Amino acid sequence: MKLRAKFKKDGDLKYISHLDLMRTIERAMRRAQIKFSLSKGFNPHPLISFGPALSMGATTHGDYFDVVVEGEIDPKRFKDDLNKALPDGLEIIDCYIVDDKDLLSNKVKEAEYTVDVYLMSRVTNLAFEITRFLGRSEIFIEKESKSGSKVIDLKNYILDLKMLDSKGSKITLYVKLKISEGSPGPIYVIKALDDFLGHVFDVERVLVDRRNLILN
Amino acid sequence: MSDLKNKIDDLLMKVNKPARYTGGEINSVIKDANKVKIRFAFAFPDVYEVGMSHLGLKILYSLMNERDDTYCERVFAPWVDMENLMREKDVPLFSLETKTPLNMFDVIGFTLQYELSYTNILNMLDLSKIPIRSKDRKGYPLIIAGGPCAVNPAPLSDVVDLFVIGDGEEIINEILDLVASCKKDNVPKEDFLRRASKIQGVYAPSLYVETYNDDNTIKSIKPIEEGVPAVIKRRIVKDLDKTYHPDKQIVPFINIVHDRIVLEVFRGCTRGCRFCQAGMIYRPVRERSKETLLKLADKLIKSTGYEEISLTSLSTCDYSQIESLVYDLIEKYKDMGTGVALPSTRIDAFSVNLLNEIQKVRKTGLTLAPEAGTQRLRDVINKGVTEEDLVNSTKEAFKAGWKSVKLYFMLGLPTETMEDVKGISDLAHLVADVYKDVNGSTKGLKITVSTSTFVPKPFTPFQWYPQDDMDSIINKQNYLKELLRGKIFSYNWHEPNMSFLEAVISKGDRKVGQAIIKAWESGCKFDGWDEQFKFDKWLEAFESVGVDPKFYAYKNRDFDEVFPWDIVDVGVRKDYLKREYKKAIEGKLTGDCRLHCTGCGIKDLDEGVVCFEA
Ligand code: SF4
Repeated sequence: MKLRAKFKKDGDLKYISHLDLMRTIERAMRRAQIKFSLSKGFNPHPLISFGPALSMGATTHGDYFDVVVEGEIDPKRFKDDLNKALPDGLEIIDCYIVDDKDLLSNKVKEAEYTVDVYLMSRVTNLAFEITRFLGRSEIFIEKESKSGSKVIDLKNYILDLKMLDSKGSKITLYVKLKISEGSPGPIYVIKALDDFLGHVFDVERVLVDRRNLILN
Repeated sequence: MSDLKNKIDDLLMKVNKPARYTGGEINSVIKDANKVKIRFAFAFPDVYEVGMSHLGLKILYSLMNERDDTYCERVFAPWVDMENLMREKDVPLFSLETKTPLNMFDVIGFTLQYELSYTNILNMLDLSKIPIRSKDRKGYPLIIAGGPCAVNPAPLSDVVDLFVIGDGEEIINEILDLVASCKKDNVPKEDFLRRASKIQGVYAPSLYVETYNDDNTIKSIKPIEEGVPAVIKRRIVKDLDKTYHPDKQIVPFINIVHDRIVLEVFRGCTRGCRFCQAGMIYRPVRERSKETLLKLADKLIKSTGYEEISLTSLSTCDYSQIESLVYDLIEKYKDMGTGVALPSTRIDAFSVNLLNEIQKVRKTGLTLAPEAGTQRLRDVINKGVTEEDLVNSTKEAFKAGWKSVKLYFMLGLPTETMEDVKGISDLAHLVADVYKDVNGSTKGLKITVSTSTFVPKPFTPFQWYPQDDMDSIINKQNYLKELLRGKIFSYNWHEPNMSFLEAVISKGDRKVGQAIIKAWESGCKFDGWDEQFKFDKWLEAFESVGVDPKFYAYKNRDFDEVFPWDIVDVGVRKDYLKREYKKAIEGKLTGDCRLHCTGCGIKDLDEGVVCFEA
C-alpha cells in the first residue's frame, strides 16, 4: 500500500540537506515501528520517494513524500505515530492513500514560495520594478547543474512574482514557479531580479520557504 | 542567550554543514539549566562528525544526564570556516543544547583520543575566552580531561586542571559529587584539586613537579605536598555487564564518521600485540553477557531507528558468543532493514560464514589487518596471523562474492627491513592470486593497501624503541608505490611528519607541552587534518621553547629510564613490558592470554579485578 504524506520542515532543520532529510524520515519511521517495504539488493532501504529537493537553508510547509508500507496502515495513525517520532522542525501535516501506480514525480507541476530578502539600499517603487522585470520578453540566466552550467530562459518558468510585504529593509516576495526536470529554484529568480535592480539585496541573507507544492 | 542564538543563526547560512552547530537531534537532552547544580560541557576537540562517532561521549553524556543535579551538554571544535566567522562577529564557543557560552559552565571535560587534536583544545578554550594555562584560571570553569591519551598526562599538564585515568563511567559520579559540594561551599580551586586527588584515578598536575637530568631525561615526577598520591592508579570498571551502557543514542542529522548504533560487547583485548596501546591500557578483558547485549540492542534499535548496529570492542570476533549474538540480532531485525557490523575483523578468528550472514542484510567491506608483510615481523609484533590465514579467509570471501579487500599495515615497526616492506606488496599480490584462482581472472578486483607509520606508545613493550626516521619512512613508501602499480591496487599512506609529531607528543613531557602552546599560538590547529597541518610551524615552536622533538621520537630508551607517564599505573607491569620487548627482538611469540595467563600484572592493580576465565 502506498501512502502520500505532506510535511513541513522548518526551524533549525532548514540546515539539513535533502539526503539528511530522507535519512531522518527513514529512521523516524523505524522508531515509530511503521512497517515500510524495503528495496531488494545490497543495502536495502525503504521505498520512499520525495518531490523536488529543497535547497539547503530553505524551509517548506507543503512538500510531499510517498512511501510503500507493508499491509494496511490507517493514514491518520501513520501521521500521528510518525509525528511522535520526528524531531522538532519536521511534521507530517496530511497523509492519504494513493494508487501504487501514482508517481509523485508525475504529479508535481508547480510550486509556490515566499522569499524574505533584505535590502542593502533603498529601491523606489519595487512593485513597479518587478512588473518591469517580468515585462521583459526573455530573462536569460546561467544555471548550475551536475554537468556544468547552462543558459536557460527563466521567463519560461516564472508563473507569478509579486511583493507581499515590506517591513523596514525586509521584503517578502511571492514566487510561483513551474516544476519540471532541471527547472530552476526561486534563488535564481531572486538573483536575476537583484541583477536587474542593480544589486540591492543582501544575497547572503535570503530565506526561502516553499509554501506549497501543487499536485495535479 | 536567545541573542546569541540569533547571532549564531546569522552565521550558519555561510558555513559548510551548518547542522554541526544546531543540536536538536533525536535523543539529545534538553533540561532546564536553572534547575541543576552542575553544568558540564563535554568537549570533543575535533569536528562534530568525528566527535559524535565516539562511544565515550555517548556513555558519559547519558550517564551524567541521568543525574538530576547535572546537565551535560556537548561542544565540538568548530571547523575553520565557522571559527573565522565566530571570531569576526565575536561569537563565543557555545554548547549545542542551549547555546550557552562555554565560560558559563562549571566543568569542561575534554576527551583525549588523539595527540594531534591537542591544539584544538587550546583553540576551543581561547574561543571560549578562557585562559589556556590552569594557573591563570581563577574563577573560570574547571578543565578536566580523560580518554586513552590521558595515560601520559604530561604534555597537557599546564593546561588541564585534573586528569581522569581509566574508565570514565567508573569515576565521574565521584568527581561530580565533589564538584557539587565544593561549589555549594565556595571551595577554591586549589582546595578542590587537593580533595579530588584523593579519588583513585585522579591526577591533578599542579600538585606535582617534573624534574630532569642533564641529558634531558626525567629525574622524577613528585607530589609537591603531603597527602597527594605518588602514583595514580587507573580506575577500572570491574563488571562490565552491570556497568552503565546508554540505551539511547543521539541520532545526528548529518552523516557522521560512524553513523550507526554502537554497542560495546567487551572491553580490553587478550591478543597482546606489542605495538597496541589500547591492548595494554584497557586490560583485562571484561565481557557483557549476551542477554544484556540483546536487551540493550533492542532498546537502542527502537530508540534510534538506525539501520545498522555495530558490535564494538578491540577485536569483536573474540567475543565468546559472537556467532549466536550476530545470528540472533540479524534474525530479529532484518525485517526492518537493520543490519549488523563488525568493525574490527581479524583474519584468523574471522569467520566468513558470519560475514556472509551479515552481508545478507547489509553489504559490508572486507578489511583485514596483517600489520606486517612477513611472518618474521609479524612474530616480532606478536600479531598471531599467518599467510595461510590470509589466503584461507580471502578465498572464502571471494567465493562468497566479495570483490574488494582493504589491507592494513604499519611501516617502521621495530627491526623492519626492506625485505619486510616488500612483503607487504607480496601479500597484496598473493591476495590477487587467490582471487584469480577463484574467479579465473582479476577482473573486478580492487585491493587497497594502507600503511600507517608505527608510533611507539607509552605502556606498550615498544615504548623503549625509537620511531623510524622520516627519510627512511618516505623511502619505504616510495618503494611500495613502485611495487603496487597496476589497476587492481591502490596504495594509501600516512603523512610521515604527522606520525612523527604523534610520537613526540605521545611520549612527551611537560616541556613538550610548552611547544604545543607555542604551536597553537602560531596558528596550528586541526593538526590531524592534512589540509590544516603546518609542520614548519611546529618545528619553529619546538625550537623557540628549546625542545628537540627528535629526542622524544627517535631516542632508544634505557630500560631503567624514568618516563613522564611513570606517574600513572595502568596496571600492566613494567617488567612484563620489558619481557615482551625482549621477546619481540628475539622474534618469540606470546600466546593469547585468554588461553594462558601471561602474567601482565593487571590482576594486582585493584581488588576485584578479574580476567576473562577461559
Ligand atoms: S593478567 Fe593474565 S589473563 Fe589477565 S590480562 Fe594479564 S596476561 Fe591476560
